[in-house]
Amino acid sequence: MGMDDAWLLPAVPAAAFAALLLFGKYLPRKGDWLAIGAIAASFALFIPVLADLLDEVGREGFAGVVSGTDWVEFDTFNLRLGFMVDQLAIVMLAVVTFVSTLIEIYSVGYMKGDPRYGWFFTAMTLFVTAMITLVLADNLLLLYVAWEGVGFCSYLLIGFWHERRSAAEAAKKAFITTRIGDVGLLIGIILLWREAGTFSIREIIEFAQDGGYSAEYLTTAVLFVFAGAVGKSAQFPLHVWLPDAMEGPTPVSALIHAATMVVAGVYLVARMMPLFVVADPVALDVVTAIGLTTVMLSATMAIVATDIKRVVAYSTMNSLGLMMVALGAHSVTAALFYLFVHGFFKALLFMGAGSVIHGTERQEVWELGGLARKMPLTALAFAVGTLAMIGIFPFSGFWAKDEIVNVAADELAWIVVAFLVFSIFLTAVYMTRLYLLVFTGRPRDDHAHEHAHEAPPVMSLPVLVLAALAVIAGFWAFDQVGRALGFPGGIGEFVFLDEAQEFAFPVVAAISSSLAAVGGMAFAYALWFGEAEQARQLGERFRPLYKLWKNRYYFDDAYQWAINNLVLVGGNVIAWFDRNVVNDTGVDGSAGLAVFSGFQMKFSQTGRLPNYALAIVMGVIILAIVFLAVRV
Amino acid sequence: MIPIQHFLVLSSILFSLGIYGVLARRSAVLILMSVELMLQAVSINFIAFAVYLAPEEFTGLIFAIFVITVAAAEVGLALAIVLRIYRNKATANVDEVDIMKW
Repeated sequence: MGMDDAWLLPAVPAAAFAALLLFGKYLPRKGDWLAIGAIAASFALFIPVLADLLDEVGREGFAGVVSGTDWVEFDTFNLRLGFMVDQLAIVMLAVVTFVSTLIEIYSVGYMKGDPRYGWFFTAMTLFVTAMITLVLADNLLLLYVAWEGVGFCSYLLIGFWHERRSAAEAAKKAFITTRIGDVGLLIGIILLWREAGTFSIREIIEFAQDGGYSAEYLTTAVLFVFAGAVGKSAQFPLHVWLPDAMEGPTPVSALIHAATMVVAGVYLVARMMPLFVVADPVALDVVTAIGLTTVMLSATMAIVATDIKRVVAYSTMNSLGLMMVALGAHSVTAALFYLFVHGFFKALLFMGAGSVIHGTERQEVWELGGLARKMPLTALAFAVGTLAMIGIFPFSGFWAKDEIVNVAADELAWIVVAFLVFSIFLTAVYMTRLYLLVFTGRPRDDHAHEHAHEAPPVMSLPVLVLAALAVIAGFWAFDQVGRALGFPGGIGEFVFLDEAQEFAFPVVAAISSSLAAVGGMAFAYALWFGEAEQARQLGERFRPLYKLWKNRYYFDDAYQWAINNLVLVGGNVIAWFDRNVVNDTGVDGSAGLAVFSGFQMKFSQTGRLPNYALAIVMGVIILAIVFLAVRV
Repeated sequence: MIPIQHFLVLSSILFSLGIYGVLARRSAVLILMSVELMLQAVSINFIAFAVYLAPEEFTGLIFAIFVITVAAAEVGLALAIVLRIYRNKATANVDEVDIMKW
């Protein structure tokens, strides 16, 4: 068992998915044990792969191991079912397989008694299969297949309670919005393939580094690829689907919209980073700008959001934007490090929110409050997640966020760094606000508070595991910790673009980001602790700003307007053209012409034998004359 | 030996007479007879060419026999139709029969 056998990682859940789909309802407990077992097996198989990689990684020039087979052979290219294991894939696999396993266990408690309990686990298994394939794919075509598979599963799971109209709408919205980006990704893949003649990621990168693409061509191609990442990772301007995707069951939100699927876009950009570096610098500037815009939009919208899951969803957007900024500074290390710890603390936050919803059946923060006494474990876990998200020393988020601020300070304009620090302040504000409103103060809805109870062990155990990881995962930044675990050093010496970096800790960045974080917490405490009267007054005073944030910068309204007035009107014009010109004139028209002319011409038939005989003879004579004329 | 042109002229005359008969006559029976004339003109051509071009082969002769056979069958069929029309319409004049149209 080594890196060559990495195909087993997606194969096991795939087999479990097939079994669940066919026989799921005949299995005891609807087959949830099979789903969990398959994904846990995937995680178990990941460990020897990791061990093998750690043996190899020190070797000079190690750049991953490719395995797999040719799937379909064409004249000009092979479609490969190929898998590549390298450091980047390993970090992603660690997050995907481990967090998925925990979330599936958590789902046993959360989804208990749901009429489609079995289907939930079936779809989750397919989702994990697609995600692992995406991470391991060694060529862009297989990656694209998995990419779409992930999108499809997200559609299934967001719309899991599709009896609710809002859930069905949210599922559609997510599918269509990400599809806009996916088309860009497909165009990008085709552009890359057209010149290089291969879909293999490694060969395309080599081709680009040898100067095979012209700079403008490559820039265009990578920007199209980035469009796919924008859609999948909910970046501005395709971010509108992520908050709505909270209509799905909470474990889905935790799995898809925090830990795994949405980071696929970040992973894609990280995987393609050598291309971005070769391309015109404007490509990376676009990545930075989009990421920073997303950070600022999400952080401000989160301050006024009142749905507990929505706030966490905005914080996810915020985190994804941060990763994009890190990638904009072409630091794969910082982005992947943040992705790694983010997987833990964001899943933790979502599962904590899920426990709250499960215990109280309320999602609006103004109906919650004072839950810390009723649900101490959840409150503790949520506090850990909050502190990690804010980036308080020594929680994992601190180290990861610090790394991003560092690389931004090294590589990007000072204005970007200023915005980053300000976003850390905003993050602290809205995360603290969320915690204060949900877990402290006076219960606002007595019935919900009476009803509140701690989640069952099957739910709280995964939460506690994640809470522990949210505290310690960040220590991987240290070289000593990395070496103790068998890595060559900290994450900087494991995942990197060009050369390994030792752990560095510029104090200025750490202090400024910590000050911003603590300041944000204090600000939120002053505003929202207790009756939140100050917050209300502030909201009144800055009414236009409050409304702007509350209405999500009117993005949804603008898109709805565009859909109503541009897409649907354009669609109606095309439909009119199709109905009247293509169908009624083109298709029915030619048939009608044949009928009409046949009807008119039948009157030339006399039915008299001599006329026909004469016509035959005249015809023969004319033919004879023509024949003679042509011959001569 | 008689030159082949003589046979060809004869068959042309016969054929033309047949065409004239088909176009000019009004009685269905006479038209049928004219058609026979045309068929026999063709047969003469077959035999003449067979004898003059490939005397050791019988292709043309066999064709002539086929033509005679087919002509006999055709006349049998056509006369049956004419009889039916006569039963229905009490006439064999083709000008008065126009039931072949829409």
